[in-house]
Amino acid sequence: MIDRPDPLRIEYASGPDGLALVRQDPPAGAQSFSATFVAPAGWGFDPDGREGLARLANHLVPCAAGRLDRAALAQRLDRAGATVSQQCAPESAEVTIWGPAGDWEDLLGLLAVISLEPRFDSDDIARTRRQFAERQLREASQPGHRADRELLRTVFPAGHPYRATGLGDARSILRITRRDIVAFHRRRYTSGGGLLVATVPARREKLEAVVRRRFGEIGAGGERAPTLPPLRRAGGGVTSISLPGRSQVEVRLGGGSIARGDPRFPAAFLANEILGGRPLLQRLFQHIRERGGLAYHASSDLEAMRWGGYWVAQAGTSARNWRRVVRLLSEEVERIRRERPPVREVSRIRESAIGELPLALETTSDAHELAVEAAYHRLPEDHWRRWPGQLRAVTPAEIVEAAGAAFDAASEATIVAGPFGSDAS
Amino acid sequence: MERARVPRPPTRRFTLPNGLRVLLAPNAESPTSSVWVWYRVGSRNEHPGITGASHWVEHMLFEGSPRYGKGEIDRAVVSVGGGLNAFTDSDFTAYYTTVPKEHLDVPLDIESDRMTRALITDREVERERTVVLSEREGNENWPEFRVEEELYQLAFRVHPYRWDALGRREDIEAMRGEELRTYYRRFYGTRNAILVVAGAFAPGAVEKDVRRRFGPLPDSGEDVAVRDREPAPRGERRAELEGPGTTPYLQLGFPAPALDDPRTPATILLDMLLGGETRMFAVGSSWGRSSEHPTSQLYRGLVDPGFAVRATSEWRPRVDPGLFTVQAQASPRTDLVRLEKEALRLLARLGTRGPTEGEMREARIRLRRAASLAYEGASRTGFRLGYFSVLRSPEFEDELFRALLGVSRRDVRDRADELFRTEARVVVTYRPTAGEAR
Repeated sequence: MIDRPDPLRIEYASGPDGLALVRQDPPAGAQSFSATFVAPAGWGFDPDGREGLARLANHLVPCAAGRLDRAALAQRLDRAGATVSQQCAPESAEVTIWGPAGDWEDLLGLLAVISLEPRFDSDDIARTRRQFAERQLREASQPGHRADRELLRTVFPAGHPYRATGLGDARSILRITRRDIVAFHRRRYTSGGGLLVATVPARREKLEAVVRRRFGEIGAGGERAPTLPPLRRAGGGVTSISLPGRSQVEVRLGGGSIARGDPRFPAAFLANEILGGRPLLQRLFQHIRERGGLAYHASSDLEAMRWGGYWVAQAGTSARNWRRVVRLLSEEVERIRRERPPVREVSRIRESAIGELPLALETTSDAHELAVEAAYHRLPEDHWRRWPGQLRAVTPAEIVEAAGAAFDAASEATIVAGPFGSDAS
Repeated sequence: MERARVPRPPTRRFTLPNGLRVLLAPNAESPTSSVWVWYRVGSRNEHPGITGASHWVEHMLFEGSPRYGKGEIDRAVVSVGGGLNAFTDSDFTAYYTTVPKEHLDVPLDIESDRMTRALITDREVERERTVVLSEREGNENWPEFRVEEELYQLAFRVHPYRWDALGRREDIEAMRGEELRTYYRRFYGTRNAILVVAGAFAPGAVEKDVRRRFGPLPDSGEDVAVRDREPAPRGERRAELEGPGTTPYLQLGFPAPALDDPRTPATILLDMLLGGETRMFAVGSSWGRSSEHPTSQLYRGLVDPGFAVRATSEWRPRVDPGLFTVQAQASPRTDLVRLEKEALRLLARLGTRGPTEGEMREARIRLRRAASLAYEGASRTGFRLGYFSVLRSPEFEDELFRALLGVSRRDVRDRADELFRTEARVVVTYRPTAGEAR
């Protein structure tokens, strides 16, 4: 057991065959355990003509594994009081297990079986194909999903890993065979570029020993980041997608951004928090919702990943008001790029971001998310301890400078999707 | 019956002379403190013309009170790194704020200020009207919302459960500030409120602080009981909706008992067996239901054979008799007739054969496992203590837990047989219209 847990620190350790291993203390008093296997298996690695393969494989990994078919695996998890979830992104794919801390060794073993020995049973593949077909329809017809998809397609050129949402299309999903899935898994769910993060009530040596035993069969492999084609110049204007019969128009403004490893990231983070990231205090919420009464949701996201990133400013509004909302979103993005934010505003947003760290340590799951983020981006072990100091060192001038890069104007595109009637142009 | 109980943190409880019930759950190790105020007021206390008032009042409680002007509540909490929000249900409304432990005085001050003295000015009501409408429109974008709203309108002809907590569009457009203020003054009061504080604090000092801040508030809050009783249905009710969407969608509803009905534990088990879990005791790190439960009967009966891509059930604890629902999203190329037939066949089989002993055993294991980790973190502790208190009492969680463990296979079968009657059934289908942009 850990005497004085410090979940704000992570600890780099070594796993078998070069697998990167990271340990974190659970929060004091927490009774649960969480571990995530991250593989370089995102949809940026989808082969041409097999779009959707990474996400399909990731969805199938926790279905059945080793000697456990789907029912047996579900029963095993239920009996352990554990859950398994999966997540796929352009660069990577994750599998996370959560359960009682007292059973962490067994659960880590189960995560190894699930991650490394998935069965890809034909029934599971057929079912997942059907589910993907419905999700593709949802992506095409739901205003929010559709606007998200079109924004990425507009900002990123063909061949760019961030251009897709990973679902593929009806034809590409049908083309994917079990052999494709097995081969993709064998190549990518490996130690090369793979990462295992455990929030666990055990010391590093103990964790390493258990991981060596449980993940000993992991295959070696190599991670190679794809070459990114340059972003296109979006050329301004608004792309509107008419979805009659819906009630609300979803608005998206977005473009390319910086990578997480960029030294300007702390300043860019604060720029986004000021613009639309910090709940309730951010400018988009204040101007569009609180003063304008124009939308229930208005916010911005900065997706800074390993290879690059993108930004999105978004809101949902009525068909009557979408032009006004586009204008306000655009004005606020432009303002954060050009004007130094007042010191008082910076200070309030920054102290809020710093002050919320304890909230991220309430439960094992909360703390675990911090560890996965730090480990994935290969940040220092004491990154979350240093983070407040990094934010406090940022000046308003640096925020403006970083915003210019993080909210790239040249690739900026505007998408609106929803019920316009005759007002779509 | 065994004396099983949910491992809950020790709680100090007291009631102020003005009727406010208070629960303190200290945990010295917590990095945070979480303050929850639960009001036994929800959309069931509304009437036609002011549907959505509870939800709108929820919004207005962030828009100004004597010590906090517009936007100042948000600023006070978020500036210290805290998080806050609120939600409105048919039977209750809850406000919560979680802050780093050294800032507990911030939410206590806010809640004591707005419990009986929110301003709800006409100007802010007008501005918020479009925000509330926008929230509703965002929900209307989803066929699932449209179907559920229709289902409850069909199922209830008398009881206020027939409208959604968001309220009817026409009422939101027409409601006046004075109506919201009247509603607030009637029901928002110390007698209808429960204050829960969880996390790192000294209980003696906080009790004193709570008495000082909340003690002077007037003894207020009208009786929230609803006298309307829904007459028994005399035949199936059905609606067929059309609109944009993906694949056909089906929702079935069956009149279900209120929370204090002795048939409730078997109804909850039925929900677990059909849908995979019950929201009140769900395994996992968050409150809510996961979408995939491959061992559930609906999943095995509808998703595995390819009739649906998603299928689940839901029974929500309610003060008055509500609905047990079953919902399924069809697979591409599955028609609604087939989907409904298969769903009904599955429900009928449960009413004749009942679950297997193995299924019952697995359900009990899931219940025990879920209960064992239910109270991790101050926010979840505040939520659970308040939730069971607003429904009845913290001990009610144990009573329910024990009753659930005591439900037999035969109880579930009898419950299914009684519940899934054709003449009580409500069916709403949704057909996606063709010709959408791709």
